[in-house]
Amino acid sequence: MSAFSQAFLVTWLTAGIRLGGPVLLAALGETFAERSGILNLGIEGILLLGALASYLTSIHTGSLWLPLLAAMASGLAASLFLAWMYVTVRASQVVVGLVFNVLALGIAATVYRRTLAHASAGPIAMFQAVHIPWLSDLPILGPTIFSQTLPLYLTLVLVAVAHFALFHTRFGVGLRAAGENPRAADAAGVSVPRMRYFGTLLSGAAAGLAGGYLVLAQIGLFRDSIVAGQGFIALGIVIFGRWSPWKAALAAMVFGTCDALQLSLQLLGTHLPEDLLLSIPYVVTILAISGIFGGRDARPAALTVPYLKDA
Amino acid sequence: MKLIERRLTPNNSPTAIAATMLAAVLAAMLIASFLFLDFGANPFAAYYALFHEPFATLRGFGYAIVKATPLILIALGTIVAWRSGFTYLGFEGCFTLGAAASAWLALATAPGQWAASLSPFVFFPAAILLSFFVGAFWSGLTGVLRARFGGNEVLISLMSNYVAILIVKYLVAGPMRAPGSLPETDQLPHATWLAFILPGTRAHAGILLAIAAALLVWMLLRKLPLGFELVVSGMNPAAGRYAGIDVPRRTLFAAAISGGLGALAGLTEILGVQHRLMDGISGGVGFTGVIVALLAELNPIAVIPTALLYGGMTVGADAMQRRAGIPSSITFILQSLIVLLVLASSMLRSYRLNLGALRSKKEATQA
Repeated sequence: MSAFSQAFLVTWLTAGIRLGGPVLLAALGETFAERSGILNLGIEGILLLGALASYLTSIHTGSLWLPLLAAMASGLAASLFLAWMYVTVRASQVVVGLVFNVLALGIAATVYRRTLAHASAGPIAMFQAVHIPWLSDLPILGPTIFSQTLPLYLTLVLVAVAHFALFHTRFGVGLRAAGENPRAADAAGVSVPRMRYFGTLLSGAAAGLAGGYLVLAQIGLFRDSIVAGQGFIALGIVIFGRWSPWKAALAAMVFGTCDALQLSLQLLGTHLPEDLLLSIPYVVTILAISGIFGGRDARPAALTVPYLKDA
Repeated sequence: MKLIERRLTPNNSPTAIAATMLAAVLAAMLIASFLFLDFGANPFAAYYALFHEPFATLRGFGYAIVKATPLILIALGTIVAWRSGFTYLGFEGCFTLGAAASAWLALATAPGQWAASLSPFVFFPAAILLSFFVGAFWSGLTGVLRARFGGNEVLISLMSNYVAILIVKYLVAGPMRAPGSLPETDQLPHATWLAFILPGTRAHAGILLAIAAALLVWMLLRKLPLGFELVVSGMNPAAGRYAGIDVPRRTLFAAAISGGLGALAGLTEILGVQHRLMDGISGGVGFTGVIVALLAELNPIAVIPTALLYGGMTVGADAMQRRAGIPSSITFILQSLIVLLVLASSMLRSYRLNLGALRSKKEATQA
């Protein structure tokens, strides 16, 4: 392999894994929600609130970790409200999620303008790439996987944790039962509402963190348009990943590399129109979840179906 | 005995529904008042500004009609799709592509272009057909993935919005760009503008198109056998199949009509308001239209007043921003809070305030 094409590959894959990180984190949480029977469309809005919370916290404290904590707290608070709407009120999950995203946009825009009057909005302290000794010297793998930021490594650890929790614990069995056959789960003594609350809260905490990740490790600024459908992409990745954490990791990396393709192609100086290249990740996600390649069977059977015990 | 006790069956009498919905709207307005106070504004003055300009001044009412026009068309698209069981959310994309299609045809009627001799009597029907078919084709793609391959239309249509917006961004930055600095097209020839219909206002003929569409959708769903088949396919696909309805084909049909209506919303915005194509014209109207349809309980006629109310609030929000310095993004909060609390208000109907418990408690303490 010539030095040039190797450099191209390394730049491309490094950017791909970097870009796939936040959506993977959000998708991991959403996997728990959907496995419990809740389609949480509201994570697009939660990502935005998490990004805002972490940006504001960072401006006021200059810390790296407190903003992540704030992002997670805002995600938890928002998803507690969403869980109440989904599980207790039993409102349509698509409608609630959709309207919540509009609400989150309004809140983010309002709060941002309100607080900007006091604080100066400049660049913030960001997570830097951490080179893992020895491993980061490996060819290709070293620079692409072992020279990323701390949030990415933590997300990869969470993939393993999520897989274990979902498939090797009592909690995971109950959660999956609530999404597959709530009536049977109920008969077996699993509280379906509680499992669905847990699922939604986990998706909210993860989406909030993912918003913080975007701001603290990738962009370093806040704008209303910062999320740009990454929450929706995370939902696509859950389907693409067949509701399994480690397949979601693969799916997120495929998405990230598609997204990074456009950056790398511009680096090569090709004259393809930038806007059409930008649409590649969306088109790939659409194709991946289109059903053309199968995959409907893996869907939790009771997804989006409200559960009423008395009926 | 508890003070608040759960009813065995929710109280769904019209009075109870009206009362709980009113309570939800008032609660949302109360929450928003705190935001107004936070910005140092008097909530009463803010609400006065929000409703006075669009509904008590002619100029403001004209703007309310302008804002309501695309909302009505998108809400109608939502109704056709959702009542047929096709949860389509791709109206941002249909709107943008419909706008691009009508702008393209309008620019072709400029002097020296291939359609320069086109009379307005041909242009407007042609633009409507073209936009409708572009939108129908676009949403039809999602329809095919759902009807043929069982893909999830909620996510596919959400994703398709970004693709459509990027396509139009490419068009205004490249092939359709006017010579000059900004990525936008030339101004459309005056003959292709929709006529203004209320003297002294910006209200344009697009509202007539929207009202006609509302009547057509009402007829389709209520009076025509085809509409009956659509609604049956939506309510119970299994029963539909049993009754001999080709459900996938009906889904595809509903998808196409719905996207076509969404694209007409883009047409009215381009030919009636913007008069040139640029990037980012949709500005979230594709989602607001869906919310309008939901608030109107998927009823095509009720969509018209609901959209006027919603459009009016958007106009009022700008007035509020000018007069009281309150960011207009607060109306996003107010509008979505109203919807969420109205949804949640059904909970209230499952409980009953037990005044008897209060009395017996009092007697118990006295005794």
